Amino acid sequence: MAQQSGMVDPAVFQDLQARVDEDAAVRDELKAFAQTLEKQTRNLSFVLSRAHSTPIANLSTVLEAAETPIQNVVETIGKLSASASKVPYYKFNNTWTRQTQDATFNLLLWGWLGGYQRDAGQVKNGRLLTIEEVGQILNIPVNLKDRDSFHLTIEEYLHALVSLVEELSRLARNSVTLGDYERPLLINQFVKDLLAGFQILNLKNDSLRRRSDGLKYKVKEVEDVVYDISLRNLVPAKGGEN
Amino acid sequence: MADSNETPSSPFMPMFEEFRKELDEHHDRRERVIKASRDVTASSKKIIFTLQRIRTLGATIPAFATKNNAQYWETIQKQYQSIATDVQGINAYRYPQITGGNQEFMEALSFQHYLENQTLISYEEARSKVASMSGEGPDVLLTPEDYILGIFDMIGELMRFSITCIATNGKLPAGRVKKTAKSVSGDGAQNGDQMDVDQPDSKPTEEAEPRNVLSDLREIRLQLEMFEAPDEEEKFYAEVERKMSVMRQCVNKVEKALYSLTVRGKERPKGWVPDVREERPTAVEGY
Repeated sequence: MAQQSGMVDPAVFQDLQARVDEDAAVRDELKAFAQTLEKQTRNLSFVLSRAHSTPIANLSTVLEAAETPIQNVVETIGKLSASASKVPYYKFNNTWTRQTQDATFNLLLWGWLGGYQRDAGQVKNGRLLTIEEVGQILNIPVNLKDRDSFHLTIEEYLHALVSLVEELSRLARNSVTLGDYERPLLINQFVKDLLAGFQILNLKNDSLRRRSDGLKYKVKEVEDVVYDISLRNLVPAKGGEN
Repeated sequence: MADSNETPSSPFMPMFEEFRKELDEHHDRRERVIKASRDVTASSKKIIFTLQRIRTLGATIPAFATKNNAQYWETIQKQYQSIATDVQGINAYRYPQITGGNQEFMEALSFQHYLENQTLISYEEARSKVASMSGEGPDVLLTPEDYILGIFDMIGELMRFSITCIATNGKLPAGRVKKTAKSVSGDGAQNGDQMDVDQPDSKPTEEAEPRNVLSDLREIRLQLEMFEAPDEEEKFYAEVERKMSVMRQCVNKVEKALYSLTVRGKERPKGWVPDVREERPTAVEGY
């Protein structure tokens, strides 16, 4: 082929190749953590899904069983965080953002079911973990602005909230099946409050926008459940019987 | 929806108001980057357009082009300066929308550099050019990916430049009789290893004849063909694949034009131009 001496300095391309190869190696390392996280989150989700078939009186066993998977998740996120903090956050965050969202969602569900700061006594549903609380549990900073380091973003937290609403609309139906007519009312108020929050956000045309557009249908599903049980006089009287 | 009725009752409102503030800031930055990227793209296209009127190689850019393009360089500089602070710290790499502008600018920059020097601008040189245009504060980053993809596009410009020159002057643009053997071997030693081997053989002929655009195109092609985009899941990989095939077509087109010039050139009457018009690919500019 042609002579190599004039047009191109081959060192330029060798250097570029080295740069992109190095990035690829970083990406592989981060992907490995993300995959571990995904697996552990699935375990957590597997445990928590028993909430759909467990009356609230027995829920503490589910919450107890969730503790080990949560510890595993926290540990992996710690490793991911240490590794990812060495590189520019937004250059690589697509390797882990979905997994972080899923982990956050499962923590939110666990927190809603009453897992966070659980007393020995009665399990209490209905708590929303703030982004700061999620950060504390996972032992990572949230919504960082002043430095380039691993953290949980607002968008990731909002994605997790959407998933939470979706999950709760399912839980509302299953509560009725379990004979619990009180929880759908709690869920109804909770998801309405969240929807009201989402409505003040100016979301652009991205996946968060698309998912949050679907929230109203989920809220409606819960409303339908409440409608069904109130129509049949199954709604417990306020402050009434046990 | 019944926004105002529900708003006060939701206990989560303060939290969402905080989120709204943050997201709005983020979207504003994003909008600024998108706009800057678009303006840089437009101005770069205009620069390229002017450069395509040049018929010389390895010489200073003619005054008409410099004068005409000054305003576009200024616009690009202004745009880079306007977003430099938006893409720093945690927000570095957050707005990939800038890559469009960067690539187009890379195309203009490398094309002009080639016309002037008949060499390919290096990544470091291009990166510091963008950095210097971002003003005195923090720099806008030109990534290796921007550079590579811009170079691919520049091949299309070299093709157009070659074809136009063949059509108007009846020959392929070539540099002046060039550089002594000394400076050539100096380059070679710097660049290191494997390339040195070829040089003793190729040098004599090289000195006799200056490099032309086609040999330069072939050389770039070789480098680009050897370049390996690592991660098949990444967008960059797909873009390299796509641009690789366009690049091959471009080089082939110049080879075909030169072929038809060689075959029919001898019997060519005065004013005859090679038959390349219909395959002159507007598509390359268009994609």
